[in-house]
Amino acid sequence: MTAVMTLSGEIPAGNGLDSDVALAAGGDQSAFERLYRTHVSRIHSLTRRMLSTQEADEVTQDIFVRTWQKLGQFRGESAFSTWLHRLAVNVVIERRRSFAIQRERMSDDPTALDGLTVGPARADLKVDFESAIGQLPPGAREIFVLHDVEGYKHREIAVMLDIATGTSKRQLHRARMLMRQHLSGD
Amino acid sequence: MHQEWTDRLSDYLDGELPADERDAVDEHLRSCASCAAVLNDLKRVVARAASADARPPQADLWRGIAARLNERGETARVVPFAAREARRFAFTLPQLAAAAALLIAVSGGVAWQFAARLGGQVRDVRSAELQARPDAPAASVAGAEGTGAADFARVENVSMADAQYDAAVADLEKALKAGRGSLDASTVAIVEHNLQIIDQAINQAREALAGDPANSYLSGHLVEARRRKLDLLRRATALASETD
Repeated sequence: MTAVMTLSGEIPAGNGLDSDVALAAGGDQSAFERLYRTHVSRIHSLTRRMLSTQEADEVTQDIFVRTWQKLGQFRGESAFSTWLHRLAVNVVIERRRSFAIQRERMSDDPTALDGLTVGPARADLKVDFESAIGQLPPGAREIFVLHDVEGYKHREIAVMLDIATGTSKRQLHRARMLMRQHLSGD
Repeated sequence: MHQEWTDRLSDYLDGELPADERDAVDEHLRSCASCAAVLNDLKRVVARAASADARPPQADLWRGIAARLNERGETARVVPFAAREARRFAFTLPQLAAAAALLIAVSGGVAWQFAARLGGQVRDVRSAELQARPDAPAASVAGAEGTGAADFARVENVSMADAQYDAAVADLEKALKAGRGSLDASTVAIVEHNLQIIDQAINQAREALAGDPANSYLSGHLVEARRRKLDLLRRATALASETD
């Protein structure tokens, strides 16, 4: 493999970096298409879970266009997949904020769990998991996806969403209890 | 089931509870089957989430992405450091290529001029001012004899720290001014024109760096432009001294 000179410097191929990343950073659209095909499932799943099936296609496209524009900023300090994923999360959060719904969704209502009836546990969690996520209220939904599906910590989520860590914890518990209810068929 | 206990189960499951609260929950769970069942359900929810599969979109989105890239002319896209809002300068690929070519042409052209004038024997000649400066940069007061390659080595040894660099440049400019009478008008015009171009490159890089201080490309660009200025001044000074 050979090093590739990009506008922001030389990215050494084969030095922990995917050569397609280096090629794409140098303007190679074919290499970028290969990156797209490698990562699109995870990115689309993220957008679908945090937003909706209807929005997921458009936002996924936005994410990859943004990725192409910002590839020159990728320094190889983390895995490309990690960098891409964080960029994707930021795009999704921007999308949500653009609809001016973040504040309402993040309200830290102490009565949020009031009225939630949780029945006895069922034998299996058979109901479609993706559908259950889609039924979560927006605030709880994005924190559940970020924490339990994507593996972010509460302190990271708090920074991303500009909320208190305690709010993130409470919304996560709310989401898990609702998921339990959905998945057990109550 | 007791909500006052189930409310703590996610924190309990995630290891977020202080030790005393965790002990209290443990004790309650040993005696409360319904809360223990909720905990088991939550564990299954968490495990299911952690193992969620990534599914591709139903439609191939690439064509739409490619169309947007091409619509925007993204194949010749703006360089990345243009993406930050605080940025003050953005260069296109052709602009950068032109700048690089210009710098190469400048140094190459000047070297050709001097080589032609001196028959390929460019010697390092120090200015009187440099000899008199005890605190002058080591590279600037290096030995008076040497080949062109040795000159380059000495130039590269000058620190690019502002104070030291500025002192070296000031000394060389003074020496060049004193010796310019020994150079013919066309050589003076070329040197001054090229210095002007390099100064513009230095100023642009500095201003761009002010808006994007962490940009390694800009830092390298600035260092290289400053090195070329020092190199040009040293060669011009050497030529002026040689033709005295």
